[in-house]
Amino acid sequence: MTVQARHPQLLRLTDPPIILGHQCIGCRRVAFPPDPYGCERCGSPREDLEELVLEAQGTVRAVATVHRHHQPSPATPFTVAVIQLTGGPVIKAIVAGAGVSVGTEVEGVLVQDVEDAEGNILVDLQFRVMT
Amino acid sequence: MNETNVLRDSPVYVVGIGLHRYQRRSDTTYVELGLTAARSALSDAGITWPDVEAAYTGTALLGMGSSRIMLSRLGATGIPMTQVENASASGSSSVAQACLEVASGRSDVVLALGVDKPRGGLGAAPSQAGIENLESGAVVPFTHFALLASEYMHLHGVTAEQVAKVALKNHRNGASNQYAQRQKVRTLDEILAEPISGAMTRLQCCPVGEGAAAVVVASEDGIRRLHLDRSRAVRIAASVTRTEGLYDAGVGIDAALTAETGSAAFDQAGLEPSDIDVLEVHDAFAIEELLYAEALGLCSPGEAASLIESGEFDLGGRCALSPSGGLLAMGHPIGPTGTGQVVEVTRQLRGEAGSRQHPGAQIGLTHMVGIGAVCVVHLLVSD
Repeated sequence: MTVQARHPQLLRLTDPPIILGHQCIGCRRVAFPPDPYGCERCGSPREDLEELVLEAQGTVRAVATVHRHHQPSPATPFTVAVIQLTGGPVIKAIVAGAGVSVGTEVEGVLVQDVEDAEGNILVDLQFRVMT
Repeated sequence: MNETNVLRDSPVYVVGIGLHRYQRRSDTTYVELGLTAARSALSDAGITWPDVEAAYTGTALLGMGSSRIMLSRLGATGIPMTQVENASASGSSSVAQACLEVASGRSDVVLALGVDKPRGGLGAAPSQAGIENLESGAVVPFTHFALLASEYMHLHGVTAEQVAKVALKNHRNGASNQYAQRQKVRTLDEILAEPISGAMTRLQCCPVGEGAAAVVVASEDGIRRLHLDRSRAVRIAASVTRTEGLYDAGVGIDAALTAETGSAAFDQAGLEPSDIDVLEVHDAFAIEELLYAEALGLCSPGEAASLIESGEFDLGGRCALSPSGGLLAMGHPIGPTGTGQVVEVTRQLRGEAGSRQHPGAQIGLTHMVGIGAVCVVHLLVSD
């Protein structure tokens, strides 16, 4: 049995979980998601992009509950938020539980996404109201 | 020589327009759709196919090589034909290429066509770029715009009912447009029913169907040589294409890109936002019309919702916003959409829009954004 992140390049499965971004050593630009090709500001190649650890916490800038979806997962209704991370970048992620509105402080939590027949588990990052 | 000087020194005019109605996917082939629009545009211009020296086909979904099999049925004249793909702005880019070709002096008469038929999914290249994101699979376009609506409503104290009034207006305009996919006046209750994502309901999201739109553009020499009706010619005063730059974290890219592109277009034409009488914008989702009206400088940030509510953007109001019904009612068949905007604005500037005519329309604007992100703005003037 293994536990893996759905997006292993974006996450470290610690407690609390960590989000991975990058910082360009050429122009110091911080970005998320980490880019496999190069810096969008100064054009430095990927070798010049350093991994940057971002705390999975921030403030909700926008929120929407989704009622129609083209795939069975995530099951509707589910809620998505735009989150301003304390480390700078702005991300979008699913929020778990109630009580999330614009201005809410939220934190990341690992949620079991899929479990296959062998018991291998895929986990994904969602956000909830900060405890 | 920069683009500004090209259009000033070598004016380019829209001389013919044609459409095939936007509609749900049917058994009609794209060839039939495209030929209907093209024949209509040639007839409107009062020219024949051998007068046309080049053709650009805006299409995002048909696959490679769509032009010749279609346009050769007007006569296999052997002229250069090129497909143009720029996501939702493909049709706008076909007009931009045709305009550039005429302005450059290579041709005097060029056809810009937009044609598409929907198929499962959009097949957008960015999703194949190998760049993962946390929200992949959960945030599709309607949720991207539902999130922008959430932020806008919170920031400006605007209600979901006010945003829905964009769709109320556009469905009303579309109801008198024989080429619109949706031709029904709706009540606010109908528009607010059937939630899709956040504040966006079914009738605040555009239908993606099939259709075609065609525009013939010509130079001064072309108009003279072919004895075209100069009084119905509409001048393209600006043609600007830009792609997304780097904006501060959290800045809405669609509106920021629109502001840059619009500003460059106004500079190119020597016009101001307050000069605009009619405009068609990329209102794929109701919230977008508010964002773009503000980004294009028609009003201050946060002001568009109350101006829509008070009728300032109605036909007959301060300026007519989405007179065709916009993407929300006329529809968004992808390839044709941007070309169709030029058709509608030309019709308005000629004074030939019938029951949808905005009184005294002399200056118009078309605006599309597309996945990428790209933005294309044209300014049209009836001299």
